[in-house]
Amino acid sequence: MGADIAGSYLGYALQRAFLGETKTRTKLKSTHTRAARRMRDEMQSLRGTAMKLGQTLSLQTGVLPDETLAELATLQMQAPGMHPSLVRVQIKRSLGRDPEEVFKQFTPEPFAAASLGQVHHAITKAGERVAVKVQYPGIREAITNDVKLFRAVSKPAQASGHLPKVAIDELEKQFLAETDYQREADNIEFFEKALAPLSFVKVPRLLRKYSAGKVLTMSLMRGQHLDDFLANRPSQKLRNELGTRLFDLFYFQVLKIGSLHADPHWGNYLFETDGRISLVDFGCVKTLSPATVTYLHQAFLYSGSIHSADFGRLMETYYRAEGLKLLAVTRRSLIKFAENFYRKVYPPDPKKDYRFDFGSREFLNDYLNESKNLFRTKGMLADLIFMVRSEMGLYQTLHRLKAQVPTSQIVRNHLRPAHGR
Amino acid sequence: MISKKASKRKTEVAARKPMKRSPAKKRVAGRRAQNKQAIRNRIVKAALGLFQTKGFDGTTTRAIARKAGIAEGTVFNYFKNKEDIALYFFEQEVGHAVASVRDNERLRKAPLEEKLFALVEGQLEYLAPYERFIGAALIHALKPSSPLGPFSHRAMELRHRYLGFVEELMEESIPKHKQDPLAFLAPEVFWIYYLGTLLYWLYDSSENKQNTLAFLDRSLTIGVGLLKKGKR
Repeated sequence: MGADIAGSYLGYALQRAFLGETKTRTKLKSTHTRAARRMRDEMQSLRGTAMKLGQTLSLQTGVLPDETLAELATLQMQAPGMHPSLVRVQIKRSLGRDPEEVFKQFTPEPFAAASLGQVHHAITKAGERVAVKVQYPGIREAITNDVKLFRAVSKPAQASGHLPKVAIDELEKQFLAETDYQREADNIEFFEKALAPLSFVKVPRLLRKYSAGKVLTMSLMRGQHLDDFLANRPSQKLRNELGTRLFDLFYFQVLKIGSLHADPHWGNYLFETDGRISLVDFGCVKTLSPATVTYLHQAFLYSGSIHSADFGRLMETYYRAEGLKLLAVTRRSLIKFAENFYRKVYPPDPKKDYRFDFGSREFLNDYLNESKNLFRTKGMLADLIFMVRSEMGLYQTLHRLKAQVPTSQIVRNHLRPAHGR
Repeated sequence: MISKKASKRKTEVAARKPMKRSPAKKRVAGRRAQNKQAIRNRIVKAALGLFQTKGFDGTTTRAIARKAGIAEGTVFNYFKNKEDIALYFFEQEVGHAVASVRDNERLRKAPLEEKLFALVEGQLEYLAPYERFIGAALIHALKPSSPLGPFSHRAMELRHRYLGFVEELMEESIPKHKQDPLAFLAPEVFWIYYLGTLLYWLYDSSENKQNTLAFLDRSLTIGVGLLKKGKR
């Protein structure tokens, strides 16, 4: 299936050389529809790493249609399913004993897919209901190989500067970090403490005793995934509430703790009808650099003109702190981004009861366009790449919820008081 | 239901009765057999330990006897030579793996790829503590004159038993398997696959041999898929 799509796009690329401009456009469109349909059907079976890398690449080259891109952002790295015999071996090698000996009860069939593996119900000897995450074997090596292959095939894009090496490095680092369940265990404990001020967010409790190697055990969380939640036709009020909370959660992490939970995948959130949100997957956690956090604090809701020299200095200081020179094109597209997206969605001077309606399609297209332009300017910072990926997931979720959110107000709550104000 | 159970118990009691005629004699015979088995196990354990540390070629029957704490002559009461010990170990290994698949109630309804996975994984688990020796034994088996080699009578018998079981599993899952004119090849191909897996496993330096697990899982899924396709 991976070869199918590659074949389809390769075919398109070859034809393009011989077709006129208008013909190219129609051809591109039909290629997109065909490929998009195929993707929707079988996306989950694509090799995770190649898929994620391809997604980032396409963000920069416009190879994929926006619709597909947006869907890709929220997809999860998926490993093949494991039959009970393989699950047993993985648990035995990690915890030293068969699952039936370790737990009072263990369900050999998974109840959910997780990034890089699957999740099983179990009951501990103490009688607690838990979720046991088991990783598919050999994932780490597979990722390393995939990235190696990807580096080889994307040499031209790297040479032209359209695919910065730092982007591939950053993604590889993230992917490999996700295979490390020990690290994920630490993440769970970190977020349990860090998110305590947000009473509407629930973080699972880690059971260290049952977590080692390729196995991670945590308390069982309740709630529904986005699709199931929406299927019950929740009221606008409830959708607004959840959207607002997701938004609050996102900027609390970015601006207050400087670390961000998870791949922006829907499967990582569980919703309850009382408005509570549970987080379930902590494989992908990004800690932003202090310079990034400072920059976001200063640039968000910037009250002056974004064309001013003062705003320009903000960006330059940020880039200098990260050891990079801010190119004129990057600077221009950052300003355009602020103008065409952030000023619309996050007005610096909102009316008292202002809420942004994420139900409209337009804002999502603006976001995709601007982020594509930004990526194409070369010289992107690793933290910004990650932010774009996460924001895309957030906006997708809010769009599906059709939520109306007091955006600027929430962000303002989390901003440090500005100097001299 | 209850009456059925009761009658079953009755027949069990009846079956046990004749045994009671010579309890003392039986017990002595049983103890002797147990004793013999214990010594046999001791020899095998000592031999495997030496194979693992000193290598197969570097191990003598005298060293085995010393390690097992028995006279060298006693070793010969049980085994002809060290190749004989090695073969006995492999027979145990196959027996263990077959039993672990057969005794697992849940596996009975599992798809073929899972049964084969459980079989091969069971073997690897049994072999794992003696990895170095397995590597040496594989090389040793390639020598034409070796009793471990594929042409020795006992080694052939063992292979037949193993592949017979594999074929049994295939027939269980693909009922029309036997009608295929090339069906006889399937176990042979599996044998080559098994040897390949063993080599892969020996060379696998990934943590906890994770790569072998992935290899086994993916290749069996593909292999069984091909096997089923051929039947349609």
